[in-house]
Amino acid sequence: MIQFTQFRDLLAYCQQEPCSVGEAALRYEESLGDRSREEILAGARGLLEQMRSTIESGLFCEDKSLSGLSGGFSKKVMDFQNSPQAFMSPLEHRMIAYALATLEENSRMRKIVACPTAGGSGVVPGVLVALWQEKDLPMERLEKALLAAGLVGEIVSHRMYLSGAAAGCQAEVGVATGMAAAAIVEAVGGTPEQTLNATAIALKNTIGLVCDPVAGLVEVPCVKRNGIAGIHASAAATMALADIVSFVPLDEVVDAMVQVGQMMSPKLKESAEGGLAKTDTAVAFTEQLRQKQQNPPCRD
Amino acid sequence: MSSHGSLFDIMGPIMIGPSSSHTAGAVRLGLLARNVANVPIRQVTFTLYNSFAKTYQGHGTDRGLLAGILGIGVDDESIRDVFERVKETPLEYSFIPNEAPNHYPPNTVRFDMILENGNPLLVIGHSIGGGKVYISKINEYNVHLRGEYPTLVMFYQDQPGMIWKVTQIIAEYNINIASLNCTRKEKGNEAFMAICLDSLLPKPAVEAIRNIPCVYSVCNVDKIPS
Ligand code: SF4
Repeated sequence: MIQFTQFRDLLAYCQQEPCSVGEAALRYEESLGDRSREEILAGARGLLEQMRSTIESGLFCEDKSLSGLSGGFSKKVMDFQNSPQAFMSPLEHRMIAYALATLEENSRMRKIVACPTAGGSGVVPGVLVALWQEKDLPMERLEKALLAAGLVGEIVSHRMYLSGAAAGCQAEVGVATGMAAAAIVEAVGGTPEQTLNATAIALKNTIGLVCDPVAGLVEVPCVKRNGIAGIHASAAATMALADIVSFVPLDEVVDAMVQVGQMMSPKLKESAEGGLAKTDTAVAFTEQLRQKQQNPPCRD
Repeated sequence: MSSHGSLFDIMGPIMIGPSSSHTAGAVRLGLLARNVANVPIRQVTFTLYNSFAKTYQGHGTDRGLLAGILGIGVDDESIRDVFERVKETPLEYSFIPNEAPNHYPPNTVRFDMILENGNPLLVIGHSIGGGKVYISKINEYNVHLRGEYPTLVMFYQDQPGMIWKVTQIIAEYNINIASLNCTRKEKGNEAFMAICLDSLLPKPAVEAIRNIPCVYSVCNVDKIPS
């Protein structure tokens, strides 16, 4: 079995072979012995197709979520593209709108791909499906890009639980952003060094991100945070592709995240007891919601 | 924390939102509790702890747990309408959020079930992120069960030869053992064995194991879809 305990093991493997991070991810998964190479690529394609289908059904949907906190944002961004004030590229608009569409579907209790969790599920699909449509990349590139993202998440998960409750949002949208940065570099054909640098640069800027969702729902700030994260990952990927090197190597960045996660107050770990969740607006909304849901469903 | 798992555990599951630990994890815990029961469940009380207790309605944790108990999978859109679906079944259920301080991990649920045969069954489980779960208690026994493999869980009086007797029976049915784990409180006292298998043991094999002298209890727990 091929084992990558740390990112430096992965980099050494890629340099020695030589191969890309996506190819290393494919060989790693193959070495687990449950699926053939073809089955793994087909599995990745299946996930990409589900991601695209979630985006398609969410993109122009204006239905609100169960709580009423989100819904209709992705359509607004798609519509805004045609405004004379629009200043970002069509690719960037799509990255934003696709991530929003995914999270909106998530809050409507519809089907999504957790990546690495539901709260961060818009970031990787947002960048990959937008690249797929705008850049005309070969399918196998995209499949490997997704696998590269998965391997990044896998190696981080050796050192921290990927949940807001365990380590704050740096473990959810933060890790998703690091995964997406790697996916972009792999998709456009960057080197393994660039791929891992992109992740390191992205993660350094999400370190310490707290989880303070209003009323404890995966909506505020989560939906819009996903909308931002694809652009964040793109900036990190661009710097890495331009051969800017992270001063702190990726393994140490992850160690720092783990440490910050341990230092973070439990009030900022999904418990809705601090930060945005304790603002006046959030508290008032939470109270309204509580009144609506007063009687827990029960039957005996 | 996991180590060296499948990349499809990181990118996945394909699931119904809104939360992998509170919705998908809840469904998978329900499915796992259902597999531990292995016979129809007549009644269930879900006691929710910590973060599960705080946000269970908004995150669909209640719907997820109930869906799992009914055998509905994480990617089935009918999770949303499960309160309607359950009316078509004889299952009785209730939810108790328990916000008192405790030593459990953030997302914990206790299932107090009454099975079709009238037997009570207690299961305590935890959702640890990304839809991953494990069960830490079955009745009065401590276990660690993740639902990744069909697993034979048994409790017995510690004595020489038990592993041999059990594996002998499993071998007769030509089923491969993926891993075997046993612990005991003290020598000669009660012991626990979990055997992960490549496929679920057929009923007669389970009966044969149950009939080994000094075996207290056997659960044949199927894996849950990943
Ligand atoms: S803020 Fe919390 S609930 Fe929202 S995406 Fe981040 S970790 Fe998940």
